[in-house]
Amino acid sequence: MTEDRNKTHMEDIIIHAVQTGPEAEPPADLVARIMSRLEPKRPPLLTRLRLWLLRPRVLTVRPITAIPAMTLAAALLALVLVTSNNPMDGGGPSLATVRFVLHDTDMSARRVSVIGSFNNWRADRSVMWYSPDAQAWILEAQLPPGDHEYLFLVNGKQLVPDPNAPMTSDDGFGNRNSIVFVNGEHEQTL
Amino acid sequence: MKEKREAEIVRNILLGEVRLYGDLVREYQGPVYNLMLRMTGDADVSADLAQDAFVRAYEKLETFNQRRRFFPWLYTLALNVARDWLRKEGRDRHVFVEDASVMVREQDRRDESRAMNDRLDGAKAFETVMALDPKYREALILRYRHDFTMQEIASTLGIGVSAVKMRLSRGLDMVRHRFDGGSNP
Repeated sequence: MTEDRNKTHMEDIIIHAVQTGPEAEPPADLVARIMSRLEPKRPPLLTRLRLWLLRPRVLTVRPITAIPAMTLAAALLALVLVTSNNPMDGGGPSLATVRFVLHDTDMSARRVSVIGSFNNWRADRSVMWYSPDAQAWILEAQLPPGDHEYLFLVNGKQLVPDPNAPMTSDDGFGNRNSIVFVNGEHEQTL
Repeated sequence: MKEKREAEIVRNILLGEVRLYGDLVREYQGPVYNLMLRMTGDADVSADLAQDAFVRAYEKLETFNQRRRFFPWLYTLALNVARDWLRKEGRDRHVFVEDASVMVREQDRRDESRAMNDRLDGAKAFETVMALDPKYREALILRYRHDFTMQEIASTLGIGVSAVKMRLSRGLDMVRHRFDGGSNP
């Protein structure tokens, strides 16, 4: 038991050393040297149009309120922003950019995914990335109009529903799934 | 990043706003330069390789999947730049090639009496991690310093997730054994 504790203690020291060990400063002119070697890209007109259409525009930002976490050490808050992409004339159904944001001030989670009906509940397809500035896990997904059920999968094992989702549904196994509704009118409907 | 999300920055760069690439370079020049330093041990060479890595990333930016994080993609590319250089220099000691060797080589162990007198602290631990074989060192750095997911490490190092777990475990064991003489298996 003491040996196990000693091993764990040593590993904590090693991990902390890796996290905080000193690093060298890159040369002061490195950015300038790199930028001097680059030419602006000149994409074809169709590529420009596609990139322009895919540019997300956040229409609505909901206020964030703190809630106690039931399953995590730190408070996790979730917020979903829906923005729209204008469909091309004569194109198919428009997709909306849905921005999932899971606040995690202390980065208590090591990995978070959004799993839902839009990715066949596959965690590997929608891995969120942590933004130190926003102190949140973030993911954007292109979703068609309609209802989409989802949950946050924390550290590969904890299912966390979105506490701000106004709608939930019973999955038939005693759990509640959050629902994001994307409509065709490009409105925030959460 | 502070004002714009990376996917948005990448989109704008692809639309021709080359100056925005400077934001990505400023954000990640530290980790990329330090990766090169660990791989080559030479400051001038590291600066040149870091430059090459960022230029190559810019040239290949169209292939970047904007639904993924930019840093793991950049790091993978930078690692390949470093490997190419090592190969060219004839210094490629089969870096990152998986082997089935024993977990701790005999020369990695210290006899117990020396280990007892050599207590582990952060500075010594870091020094020992830096001296590890690159395949273990980089796995530890990606996981604990840069918070890569297991999947991201696997993809960056070109190995499976189970191999990543093995490397992390072996890496920690090797550092630990330098200080406890192997008394904790």
